[in-house]
Amino acid sequence: MAVNSAPGTSGYAFGERAPSRVITPESVEQLAAALRDCDTKGEAVVFFGGGTLQGLGHAPARYDVAVNLRALNHVLEYEFRDLTISVEAGMTVEQLNATLAERGQFVPLDAPQTARSTVGGVLAGGWCGPRRAAYGRPRDALIGTTVVLADGTIAKAGGMVVKNVTGYDMSKLYCGSLGTLGAIVRANFKTLPVPQTRRIAIARLPERTHRRAAEHIASLDVEPAAALVVQGFADDIDGHDGIDGRIFLLFEGSQTLVDRSTRELRSALGAAGVPETTLFDAGAGMAFARLLDAYLVRLGDRSVTYRILGLPSELLTRWETVSRLAREHGLNLETLQDIRTGDLIARVSATLSGHVTERIPGFDVALHSALPRIAVLTAPESLRGSLAMWGALPPSLQTMRALKARFDPKGTLAPGRYVGGI
Amino acid sequence: MESATRERFAERLIDAIGADAVLTAPEDLAVYSFDAYSEERLPSAAVLPKDARDVSAIVRIANECGEPIVPRGAGTGLCGGAAPVRGGVVVSFARMNRILSLDAANRRARVQPGLINLDLSKAALPHGLFFGPDPSSQKISTLGGNTGTNAGGPHALSYGSMTNHVLGLEYVDGSGEILHTALDDFGYDLTGSLVGSEGTLGIITAIDLRLMRLPPAIRVFLAAFADVETASAAVSAIVAAGIVPTALEIMDKLIVQAVEAHYHAGFPLDAGAVLLVEIAGQPDDMQAGERAIGEIARAHGALSWRSATDADERDALWAARKGAAGALGRIAPNYYIQDATVPRTRLPQAVHRIDEIARAYKLLVGNVFHAGDGNLHPLLIFDRRERRQVEAVIAAGTEILTACIALGGTISGEHGIGYEKRETLPLVFSSDDLATMGRVRDVFDPKRLFNPDKIFPSGAVCGEVRAQPQPAAGAGAWL
Ligand SMILES: Cc1cc2nc3c(=O)[nH]c(=O)nc-3n(C[C@H](O)[C@H](O)[C@H](O)COP(=O)(O)OP(=O)(O)OC[C@H]3O[C@@H](n4cnc5c(N)ncnc54)[C@H](O)[C@@H]3O)c2cc1C
Repeated sequence: MAVNSAPGTSGYAFGERAPSRVITPESVEQLAAALRDCDTKGEAVVFFGGGTLQGLGHAPARYDVAVNLRALNHVLEYEFRDLTISVEAGMTVEQLNATLAERGQFVPLDAPQTARSTVGGVLAGGWCGPRRAAYGRPRDALIGTTVVLADGTIAKAGGMVVKNVTGYDMSKLYCGSLGTLGAIVRANFKTLPVPQTRRIAIARLPERTHRRAAEHIASLDVEPAAALVVQGFADDIDGHDGIDGRIFLLFEGSQTLVDRSTRELRSALGAAGVPETTLFDAGAGMAFARLLDAYLVRLGDRSVTYRILGLPSELLTRWETVSRLAREHGLNLETLQDIRTGDLIARVSATLSGHVTERIPGFDVALHSALPRIAVLTAPESLRGSLAMWGALPPSLQTMRALKARFDPKGTLAPGRYVGGI
Repeated sequence: MESATRERFAERLIDAIGADAVLTAPEDLAVYSFDAYSEERLPSAAVLPKDARDVSAIVRIANECGEPIVPRGAGTGLCGGAAPVRGGVVVSFARMNRILSLDAANRRARVQPGLINLDLSKAALPHGLFFGPDPSSQKISTLGGNTGTNAGGPHALSYGSMTNHVLGLEYVDGSGEILHTALDDFGYDLTGSLVGSEGTLGIITAIDLRLMRLPPAIRVFLAAFADVETASAAVSAIVAAGIVPTALEIMDKLIVQAVEAHYHAGFPLDAGAVLLVEIAGQPDDMQAGERAIGEIARAHGALSWRSATDADERDALWAARKGAAGALGRIAPNYYIQDATVPRTRLPQAVHRIDEIARAYKLLVGNVFHAGDGNLHPLLIFDRRERRQVEAVIAAGTEILTACIALGGTISGEHGIGYEKRETLPLVFSSDDLATMGRVRDVFDPKRLFNPDKIFPSGAVCGEVRAQPQPAAGAGAWL
């Protein structure tokens, strides 16, 4: 097991807060021993996959040891005829995708920056992307896990079968727990066959077509796998904005079905006053990957990206609220409006770096008093301390605190990073 | 409980939620003393709350009196989950059976736990929507019970089990507090933890559920095979080819004959096994879907392949399939239904082992199962008056579970662990695994009053001896 001390720790800092060492366990047992040791000594630990989602949550309240999980990156079992796979969770999503692609399969994780993001990080970060309306969330594809707890306990849950109610469904609890309950070291998934055809449809939205286009898309006979209105993200996502932004749709399915659905889309968009739709199959995968990456792309140190959740039917109202607040605070706003899931991704930025520290914290306060379910996806480290990070406290916070206390009584794992300062 | 204490307990319940909501007479309590798995013992009381506030009051009182609390839906559970094995108070949701809201635009509904599963799909139908999970018991089982067991059903193959459809919950915790959790809240996924917890973590008082668009095209096919093993091999091959239909169900000859005698749905009577295939989606894909699956089925020994001609025939086939257990109840004295899952490539081996085990114990076995998920349901037929047969059924049941574990599978795909399989759980999970689950229990229900003696094995620590399970289902007990 590699142990580095400063300066090898620079990639693991949260602003000023850097760990005194970084350890890279090469086996689950090594990890368990290391954690037990830290727990005994009262050293605080933060787990690292690719670090792509470390923008979530508060900076750790205490921080001694960074645990790099990327050496745990092997395929453990790939029963492709069963449509199941078991991997070590430090594997990058790219590596997972490549393994599955060889057999014409995929797991709908919708993770950004797959060359860096790891399976465990995506799960622990509670990531869910635009195709979840079509395929479910990562938690729904997850059929089993092994975790290591703060005291070194190695615990598994679920298994390698696609339908399982044997014991508590612990895997759900670890998903989205941001490394505050344990380290996910093994993840078992059910896989899906890759659809025959993948097609991206992009269309500029002329003035005052936004609402109608969204409505028409929501009532398409064949539902796209992902359907978003994009405004901005000019350097990050394919296509060009009209006055009202642009449509970005992904269709997946058989060739005949995708052909029909894109015909229907064209006429629906035509009726909504959107004249031109660009379609492409070759490169659709890359274009979709760029869309996903955009969720985490920051404009240097001048932007903050929020995920603002809510019902699909309230998406436009929420967008209007956020637009108004951004205007009032003199900030640029770029958005991804996910028509199928209701997610609103909002990237606010200032042109002058002085305006970032002056304006964004005020915007953050206003945003939180207007809307309840907000999380910061990525922000400059210097701003983290002045942003609310997690939105309204969940009604069952008390229970969550108790769970944390029961799983990690000494507060060894990512203390303070999570909701309500857990 | 002493009878004086019991009276005092009942009085307090009556004070809190009204006399008409509290049952204590033995003849009234009898129906709350068992579920579809086993007959157990009379509770001290059964209560019929009308809302979450009532449930909260009940939990507080039971807590103060140290009485176990057993939530109960329709009692169709097949693992003793709703049976008050340690007495206490049974909480029935018969009066909490309404749809609180149906939001067609966002495809979601909020329901009370006592709502019958099928009633939700019926209410959603005019909006072009339906509810995905459809346990075969869906005409009688409740959404609270379905949530409690994380129920599956034939369509779990493509739509998933309950946990993939529950968006949020209102629940009462061990201290009697009414709490809320939603998938879209930030923070730990308490929703996912409560689903499938079989009443051991909290009492669910409202459920937010995802609805789905009705598929515009549905086709159902029937393929006949020489035996269950061949049919299973065909299912393995379909899945291995990367095809995931909406349902892949197998019935063996014994079941088909029982079903046909009652439903006359048109299943072939001479086949050793029948495979029921459903595909659903857009009309554009139906022909190709049928061709691909039909070819694999024929290549793997299908003796015939036939398509249901219209919606009526399709519905008739499904009604018969879902009524299979009940139909068997008409001809068999008693049966014990097992529930295990294996990786789908292992299906042929699993059914072969089941057959061997049944033979060794001289038991008649029927098979009707969710093959596409690898979810087996052997029904072991016996006569409960014959002690030797009861013993054989229990021993064979355990051996089947062990065999499925050896094949990389597990001991319950959808029915749950409950009372029935709690001593079998250590075959799947280490004591560390179980202790980790126990930590969750500690948080939600520190006093262990919610459904005690369920899921978790009786610890060697307390030296509890395993009570003899009493599989008593069958003979139409619940139909
Ligand atoms: C003929 C037949 C066919 C069946 N087919 C299937 C099938 O295809 N798929 C399948 O999954 N199951 C099937 N089952 C099993 C059974 O129907 C399911 O387990 C069902 O989910 C139980 O629902 P219920 O309302 O009867 O709940 P109950 O049996 O009353 O309770 C089930 C469990 O949930 C708990 N519970 C009930 N209500 C609540 C609540 N409000 N809060 C917290 N916990 C609660 C109970 O304590 C218990 O542990 C079948 C059963 C029969 C008899």
